Amino acid sequence: MSVETLADPETKIIPLDGLAKVTGSIRYAFDASLPGMLHAKLLRSPHAHARIRRIDATKALAVPGVVCVVTGEDAARLPDPHHGFYVRDQPLIAMGKVRYVGDPVAAVVARDEKIALAALSLISVDYEPLQPVPTIDDALAPGAPLLFDEPHSGPALSVGKGSWSINEPSPNVLYEYGYARGDIDAMMAKASHVSHDSFIVSRINHFHLEPYAIIARTEGERVELWTCNQDPFMIRGDLSRIFGKPVNSICLHSAPIGGGFGGKSYCKLEPLVVLMAMKAGAPVRLALTLDESILTLTKHAGVLTLTSGIDDDGRFLARRSELRMDGGAYADASVMVAVKAGYRIPGPYRWDALFSRASIIRTTAVPAGSFRGFGGTQVSYASECQIDLMARRTGLDPYELRVRNLLEVGEEFAPGDSGMDSDLRQGLDEVCHRIGYHQRKRQKGRGIGLAIGLKDGGGTGNHAQAIVTVSEKGDVTVSAGTTEIGQGAATVLCRIATRTLGLPLSKAHYASIDTDRTPLNNGTHVSCGTVVTGSAVQRAAEDVRAQLLAFAAEQLQCTPEELKLDGWAVIKGNESFSLETMIRSWFGGVGYSFIGRGGMKVPYDPASPMRARNLFWMPCWSTAEVEVDEDTGHVRVLRLVVGADAGHAIDPVSCEGQVAGAALQAYAQAMFEELRYRDDAVPDNINPRSYRVPVAGDLPAQFECFVEEHGYGPGPFGAKGIGESGMLGIAAAIANAIEDAIGARVYQMPFTPERVLAALDQLHSQKQAEPAS
Amino acid sequence: MNEAEFSFTLNDRPVTLNTRASAMLVDVLRNDYGLFGCRIGCDQAVCGACTVLVDGTPMAACSTFIFEIEGREVTTIEATGQTPDPVQQAFIDARGFQCGYCTGGMILLTRSLLARHPDPDDDTIRAWLGANVCRCTGYSSIIDAVKAAGRLLRQEAVR
Repeated sequence: MSVETLADPETKIIPLDGLAKVTGSIRYAFDASLPGMLHAKLLRSPHAHARIRRIDATKALAVPGVVCVVTGEDAARLPDPHHGFYVRDQPLIAMGKVRYVGDPVAAVVARDEKIALAALSLISVDYEPLQPVPTIDDALAPGAPLLFDEPHSGPALSVGKGSWSINEPSPNVLYEYGYARGDIDAMMAKASHVSHDSFIVSRINHFHLEPYAIIARTEGERVELWTCNQDPFMIRGDLSRIFGKPVNSICLHSAPIGGGFGGKSYCKLEPLVVLMAMKAGAPVRLALTLDESILTLTKHAGVLTLTSGIDDDGRFLARRSELRMDGGAYADASVMVAVKAGYRIPGPYRWDALFSRASIIRTTAVPAGSFRGFGGTQVSYASECQIDLMARRTGLDPYELRVRNLLEVGEEFAPGDSGMDSDLRQGLDEVCHRIGYHQRKRQKGRGIGLAIGLKDGGGTGNHAQAIVTVSEKGDVTVSAGTTEIGQGAATVLCRIATRTLGLPLSKAHYASIDTDRTPLNNGTHVSCGTVVTGSAVQRAAEDVRAQLLAFAAEQLQCTPEELKLDGWAVIKGNESFSLETMIRSWFGGVGYSFIGRGGMKVPYDPASPMRARNLFWMPCWSTAEVEVDEDTGHVRVLRLVVGADAGHAIDPVSCEGQVAGAALQAYAQAMFEELRYRDDAVPDNINPRSYRVPVAGDLPAQFECFVEEHGYGPGPFGAKGIGESGMLGIAAAIANAIEDAIGARVYQMPFTPERVLAALDQLHSQKQAEPAS
Repeated sequence: MNEAEFSFTLNDRPVTLNTRASAMLVDVLRNDYGLFGCRIGCDQAVCGACTVLVDGTPMAACSTFIFEIEGREVTTIEATGQTPDPVQQAFIDARGFQCGYCTGGMILLTRSLLARHPDPDDDTIRAWLGANVCRCTGYSSIIDAVKAAGRLLRQEAVR
């Protein structure tokens, strides 16, 4: 916490990277190049599931300009050629088997991309096709073909009280997380109403506009990379293990990132590019196309089944959940997604008993992993849809049912976990007020839906370090490992430092990131930048401030307590002394740097279900008004209102931008966006012409985003993270609005006209089957 | 081999280069002129990150052959140097960007839009911006930036 609050010099925040972004002078990893650099292209599997009998690259190697070809045989010689979070099952490049259409099989390194691309078609691969495993049901069917013949060694992720965590519990199941508390059977038996529903969430891609780009250079023992990855230190650790090299021989350079949303987190193709650079004896660049990005990672599709019981007063008693998520071919970050999904099933409500199981099922599809919302989007959708269904089935207003069960401020999310740090009722009332929920009038084909998405934020037991340096002129350099990915981290972290020092934001610079010099950071995930890295930055700035005051006190022969910082001067009594003058007269030469250090660590706590108390909660108050054409099934979203709680908004404009951006991604997933697979596990729309993302014309007629500041955040000045909030409640609010409009429920995303019509047909046939009363 | 000479105007400067007629404008701008503000996104004329103005009209440089611009005027985001014009200033003021990858294209698109419709309504703005993709902002702040840019340009016109 800040020992004193200096006057805030900022009236309007001008983003530090604004000029570079609007003039085009900013450079991304995609733009980087090195002298003597070669270029790589990947040959990808046309089969969903096949054994590789033989790869013959003779003809490719004969092409002038081709330097080398890398295959699984090269990877097999490495100390530990697999990666994946807790289940390391993904080889650097296919080793003996391919497990999805698009699995990299061979890499050509050549003088330029065109040559590499041409050489790919000259590589002959002898495949023995195996039966694909397209869906969760296919994977779990008795006698289903196995993606992996053997289980993987290594411990399962540690979890805390009430939770369990099992790697590969049964065939084609990658991981199971579970959480239970209370007497689920007894509470369910007490319920006067029990709802049992299944919801289907779709698979979407991140579609970040900067394609994935990596350059690797190896010189002697030294390995250097330039990558767009969000997690430079995590990748450094993976490379160290895979190649058997000490971490200090590896340096990753992180440029500003052209969008990620999770698609550039965790280990991807970095080790393969290092292997290529080693074999080629020259720097190698691999830049994926956007089509290939779609073949790299997706958000988890899944089937989420919830059984929930409530009593006569509409009080939530018990919830049982069976969440089956499609992890695709490899683990990536699936383990963590399962944990977070399974644990968040109660949503922002109190329940007497819970039993939740979240499994990741292996299929022969693109691996699923981190995507903004990280399990929270899926679970919020299922939970908030079911709560609406329960309200309608018991004749309660969906608003009223929610209000009766909402967690109060300070109330524990679960025994042993942290308390709710947003006023949930206040946010809900705000969206209701903005859309006119309580004044709504019934109109045929029109409906309003509510939802409160919820996700934890900040990471489990997360930590970060930071260095804040101040020059003799009061120029501030903030050095930390949170990457600038469009969320505005550079500006926010610099503002935390300058506000702590009482200096204008324009005096600050966010240092470029490389793992040799930048203080360690777990990665740019889980909306942690402002709170976790931000707290480390704030402490580093406080350290610098203390040093400055101590220095000035020595110069002025007084105690630091007698002094006060005032811009780049100190005030003693009624007198002001220039710090620059004092520093120059004492140090001489080229000046001096005051170097402050700070750290932030969330302690582990086995008494907490996640093994650490959650740092902050991210509610997403959502409401939608829709118009449904019952003849065509077409849904038009007339209004979408979305609110989130920043605790305290350090950069309010960028907070709103985060909410709006996330909300539109979720809106697209609800309405039309989907990576579709055909029955044979072949993707149907893996290019930007057929994979549709929202454009400006797709916006709801009225789209309103707002940011509350409830002031309970654990971060600098009361801040919380907000980056993922806007995703969470949107799809449920729209589905609930559709039911409000037509009386029929669409359970599966996206809510296409076909599905709306099918839901109407089902409703009509149910009505006909019911005896007339 | 198969190279030919091409002349065009690039950011108000006449230029001539020898290259393959099949070269794409985006590669020429990036590799021959170092204009990396012309971004490669989808590389299939869908996302608009590579938008440039050719005789004032937005075009996808990733899908424009060099021979198509012979004798024409090409404007990239770098044309104003490090001094933002009113449209660029409006994008800073309204925070019409997040990661910045689509920003150059969006700004050039906006210039072209405002040249034709100095005071566009919401539908016109949405229709025009629909040519390009932004995956970060949800478009709201970009739409605000376009409106702010229109106001700045109209004020300038009055002066």
